[in-house]
Formats: sequence, structure tokens, C-alpha cells
Amino acid sequence: MRILILVLSLLMLPAATAAEYAVVVASNSTIGALDSARLRDIFLRHRNFEGEVRLVPVNLLGEDSTRTHFETSVLNMNRDELNRYWITGHFQGLKPPATQASLQSVKAFIAHVEGAIGYLPLAMVDDSLKVIHEF
Amino acid sequence: MNFFSVRPTLALCLLALLSDAAAAQESGYQLGRGKALTDWLTTGGYFSTEYSDSNNERKLLLDDLALLLYGEKGRGFSYLLEVESVEPYVADFKHDTTTTNFPPTIERLYLDYKISDLVSVRIGKQITPVGYWNLQPINVLRETTSNPLYSDRMIPKFLTGIDVYGYAPFATDLTYHVFAQNGHDMDQSNINIAIDRHYGFALEKILPGGWKLGGSVGRFQELNSGATRYLQLNTRYDTDRFTLLAEGSHKLQDQKSGSPRQSDAFYVQGEYHLSVQHSLITRAEYLHDSGVENSERIGIVGYSYRPVFPVSLKIEYQWHQDSAQNRVMASISVLF
Repeated sequence: MRILILVLSLLMLPAATAAEYAVVVASNSTIGALDSARLRDIFLRHRNFEGEVRLVPVNLLGEDSTRTHFETSVLNMNRDELNRYWITGHFQGLKPPATQASLQSVKAFIAHVEGAIGYLPLAMVDDSLKVIHEF
Repeated sequence: MNFFSVRPTLALCLLALLSDAAAAQESGYQLGRGKALTDWLTTGGYFSTEYSDSNNERKLLLDDLALLLYGEKGRGFSYLLEVESVEPYVADFKHDTTTTNFPPTIERLYLDYKISDLVSVRIGKQITPVGYWNLQPINVLRETTSNPLYSDRMIPKFLTGIDVYGYAPFATDLTYHVFAQNGHDMDQSNINIAIDRHYGFALEKILPGGWKLGGSVGRFQELNSGATRYLQLNTRYDTDRFTLLAEGSHKLQDQKSGSPRQSDAFYVQGEYHLSVQHSLITRAEYLHDSGVENSERIGIVGYSYRPVFPVSLKIEYQWHQDSAQNRVMASISVLF
């Protein structure tokens, strides 16, 4: 019985941890792998550079599941917490990242704008993009 | 003037305020985030009203009415302008008087240049980058109507000068500020301490488990007074349900003769968040000033309600060491 449970657990583990989304930059970018803490600093606009590159974070407009998953998994914040953060930021003159209306336009933005960084479903990643974090 | 005759007007204002907030959210404009007119110009503002009732006073005031303009231009440049009318309308029910004061003053006006994450420069009139309370000084962003004595009496709230800041190159999550002022404040109105010189250094570290820890040292020169040196410490702990804030400072002011005048002040504030909208607050404060051989102790309990985050309704009761100062304070404030 123990062996059966162990086998079942091992079979379920990859499914439970498999990443569906990726944080990406343009394929010719010099930016390498970044951890969640660093990405949180970038998307909350605490940090604006990676090496010599001035970063341009981009969000998907609205409450698409890709964005929601990014916020809870990588930023570790829910929408209420993010709203509070940006409202406080408004008093400090801090603007949230730019937005794009669709996943396709996010992809095009990242591929063509120097320093752009965003997130997409892994299935949309092709040669024009480089994965720097999976979640 | 009768306070009770004012209450229906207040209730109508409150209803209008809340319905406006709901309408704004439905139309796509998000209250509390300003309106971006262009890439380089976002506008917004805030206002707050306060009511205070004690043995000595019963006042209703429009406390702040402010306009914000800010934006980013080019690679790394940004600016912010905040003009504010402070106490534009005050009704004193004890003395049956009203006063108005509409001329706005410059609360902040600065230019920022981000060279890298390690070095940014801010030049102009700005909030002194010390502690937590000082950096979120407006009613709508805090959980009590009143400010602690610590925030009003110890360190100049504003700096007209330069602040060089960024992440420390040798440690993760450690930020620094090196700031200096050499001259008078840009606008002498509504400042807590009038100075013509101020130098300081501040650090803050984000620690594991929801804790932050920071501190600063500095020296300032009050107008017509001796030099003052200070040491300040601050800590903050956040969970989903609970926030703890504690700050304290010690300062020494040189006298023409004799030993320096010493002042110590601190506060500890706990916030229990019953839900996203409702919070209970308690705060203990202490201030001692050897110059007047006086100590002040204040205990506060309060309640905060936010129908939406940028709209804040608060009420608190204060117990003072001198019971004649005990009071009820309430406020409504909005960031737009």
C-alpha cells in the first residue's frame, strides 16, 4: 500500500507543479532568469533596471486568468492589495505598468519594445521571446 | 451656529460622496488613482473633513483640499507638484466663529531622475524620507484622524533640497536615503518646524516574515535656534489581518548655555483588519521635552471604515494625561 501511495504521489507531483505561464522578454534581450522577489520589485516599480537595461513592465488589461495567476503566484498579492498599493502610489506620483488589451498585443509589445517584460501562457512563447521565469 | 443644523448637510455630502465613488468605478475611472491626461501628466487630488469634540473645543473643518500633478518624461525623469489649501473652512462651535483660508500653498514640488536602481536623485520640496508616518501624511492614507505627537514635534516633515536614494549595492532589500537642505523651505506655510539647514541619512531593510526595520540620523538648524541632532527608529509588521507600526526618536537641541534640550517621542499602533473595509485601531503615544519639563501620554482607540479604499471614514477617542484634552475625533477623506 505504501508503495502504491508513493508511486501515485510521484505521478501527481509533476502535474501539480507544472508551469503554465512564463515571464518573458524579447529573445535578443540581455536579461537572464529572475526570481519572484525580483519580478515583484519590477512590477511594483521599486526597481526599474536590469543591468544597463531600463525595464518597461507590461500588464494585461482587466482580470484575465493569466494576469490573476501572475499576481497571486509571482507578486503574491490579490487584487485588493494591488489596488491599495497603486492608490498609495498615486499620492507618491507612482504610476502602474503600462497595459495591453490582449495576450497577442502583450506578446508583440514585448518582442518589439526595448526593455519590455511581461507574462504569457507558455503555449504562446515562440522564438521571438525568451523565458526568464515560469510559474 | 448650531452643530445639529450642520448634520443633515454632512449626511448629504457623505451620500453624494459614496454614490460618486460607485459611479466612478462602473465608468472605468478608478477612484484614488488619478486621471492620466497624457503620458507625462496625471492629475488627482484629495480632501478631508474633520470633527473634533473636547471640553475645550468643538470644531468642524475642511482640513485639506489638494491638487496633484505628476508624470514621467524621457528616460528616467519624473516630477510631482502638490498644491494644497490647509484648513480652508473651519467652524468653531464653542466660540461660534467660522474662518476661511483658501490660498493654496506648495506642499511638494520636485524633479526625480532615476540613474539606476542604486542611485536616484530628487530635487525640490519633498517629504523628508524618514520613517513611515511621515511618508503617508494625508488623512485618507492613514487609519486614524489624528497624527501622533512624534510626527508633529520631532523632525521637520518637509525638505527643500536634495535626496539621493536607491537600493544598497551590497544587500538585498536594503534601501537608503542621503538628504540635505541648505536654505529656507520653499514655502514656509504649513511646515511643522521652520529650518534653514537639514542633513540626514536613512536606511530601511525588509525582513522575512512581514517585518520591516528602518532608522535615520540627522541634524537640522531651526530658524533663530540652536542646532538639533536626532536619532530615529521605525518598524512595521504586516499580515492579512494585523498591522503593527512603531516609531520613535530622540533629539538633542543645543542651547546658548547649559546642557542641550532633550526630547523623546514614540508611538506604537496596532490595526486589526476585521475585513477589507473595517478595521479597529489602537495607539499609545509618549512625548517628553526637557525644555518645558513636560511629558504627554495619549491612548487612542478607533474604528476605520472604507467603503472603497480611497474613501475613508474614521472615528477615534483619545485619552490624554490631562483629561481636559480627552476628545472624540472623526473624519471623512477621499483621494481622487
